[in-house]
Amino acid sequence: MEILQDLLVLIVAGWMTIDQNGPVVMSWFGVIVGLITGLIMGDVNTGLVIGGTFQLMSLGVAALGGSSAPNYGLATIVGTFIAVRTGTGTDAAIAVGLPVGLLAIQLEVVVRIVNNFVAHKMQDYNNAGQWDKMNRIAWLGPIICSLQTILPTLLVILFGSTVVNFVLEFIPEWVTNGLSIAAGMLPVVGVGMLMRYMPVKKFLPMILIGFVLSAYLGVPVLGIAIVGFAAAFWYFTTQINKTETAVAVATDASDMGDDFDE
Amino acid sequence: MSNENTELNAAATASADGRYQVTKADLKKAADRYNFMACNIFNYESQMGAAVAWALAPVLRKIYKDDEEYKAALNNHFNYFNATTCMASMILGATTATEERDGIAAKDAVQSLKTSLMGPFSGVGDTIVWVLWPTIMGSIAGYMAQQGNPLGAIVWFVCNVAFWFVKRKLFEVGYTSGTKLVSELGEKLSVFTEAASIMGLSVVGALIATSVKVTTALEFQVGEVALNLQTDILDKIMPSLLPVLLTVLVYKLLGNKKWTPTKLILLLIAISLVCSFFGILAV
Repeated sequence: MEILQDLLVLIVAGWMTIDQNGPVVMSWFGVIVGLITGLIMGDVNTGLVIGGTFQLMSLGVAALGGSSAPNYGLATIVGTFIAVRTGTGTDAAIAVGLPVGLLAIQLEVVVRIVNNFVAHKMQDYNNAGQWDKMNRIAWLGPIICSLQTILPTLLVILFGSTVVNFVLEFIPEWVTNGLSIAAGMLPVVGVGMLMRYMPVKKFLPMILIGFVLSAYLGVPVLGIAIVGFAAAFWYFTTQINKTETAVAVATDASDMGDDFDE
Repeated sequence: MSNENTELNAAATASADGRYQVTKADLKKAADRYNFMACNIFNYESQMGAAVAWALAPVLRKIYKDDEEYKAALNNHFNYFNATTCMASMILGATTATEERDGIAAKDAVQSLKTSLMGPFSGVGDTIVWVLWPTIMGSIAGYMAQQGNPLGAIVWFVCNVAFWFVKRKLFEVGYTSGTKLVSELGEKLSVFTEAASIMGLSVVGALIATSVKVTTALEFQVGEVALNLQTDILDKIMPSLLPVLLTVLVYKLLGNKKWTPTKLILLLIAISLVCSFFGILAV
């Protein structure tokens, strides 16, 4: 039974990366990964709680334009596995899952360097006119990618329980407390990244509106998203009309653009 | 130069003779292959290039009957490419239409279509697919999951499965509208991206208040009264004061190239451990 669980967890870990890179059905979204891992481990509730915690930590952390981000999906798999298998609480799961998710970034960089050889090999086969080989060798890509989450998960499955028991025995309370405090703080990194990615200075009022609605009035996220959508809708229609009249009047479009920016 | 041009023209007429008519099944296959492989051969040199060549290989084989032309067309697609997959589906649909019509003569047009569209298209795609959608769904499903409720996760999962079919459709849309995409969407895209950012930023404002948690445990003894810094002072000034200050700090640090997200995470963990040891911050 345990062997079967180990195997399924490994498969989910491998598929997670392939999915994140391509279909994005499960991706490394903590709640979905947590739900599936929880089902495999026979404890959906633990999977959801750990997945939910890492999900909130990961909000806004997106690997855009080929950059790398901490793998909170891997953190969820590892955390859920440890929590259910060793029977320790979610605090220990976070203490083990978080560092593993952070370390996985380094593996991703290695994978992308190795993939460069796959891409070149494919192009070589193309130039040689061996297209069947080209199509076949492409599958090495997803296989290599999946290793970046399979290998850490395998290590945790093999040695995780021993390490966790050791850790729990010797680590003082302030450390586990400190990690829980960090778990509460870490979503700020995602928020900061979002703010760097989006035109904060131009649309600062929208952040303030969202903040006041949430902090002072307690409006849930979906409600705030609707308010945001209303503002976006208004902005889009007025701007599009302006551009269209601008084109009609045949004024210099670049001049108009400058005015909007300020 | 003129020599090259006549060669290209000759190639164009040759392919115009027995032109292959791309079918819906061809488009579906190309879309599925692309949306599966996408970043799975991601490398720092050509990024998605190899995946694009692999995805389009079957349909291009049908378009290019000549081996040398096929080679050249594939090599064209092995070049650097990176775009949000759903938007890339549209771009590749458009290039397929171009190659079907003009054959290898369209090689340079295909390349410039890809390079000129991937930037603005990804601007919209990344904002919606990687920022807005996971942030809104993630915070709803995340809080539900913490209460042990799987509904948010299930809804999210089902939506993601549905998106697979949307991407197929987008590939078709790209194919049917072809190069018109550039002129028609081009000018609207930047306004659309900004509108999406407006919605995104209102959610960011909510996230600062709800998902970032910093609470101090410090207490002051003022005469005979014990004053709790968090509940008696900070909360009276404004709710979520510490999270707001932390957000401003992190935002400023991220503006500095030296502070990568990973370094920031390690810094925050270190701060948390120190503050936990001295009892400055509470869980």
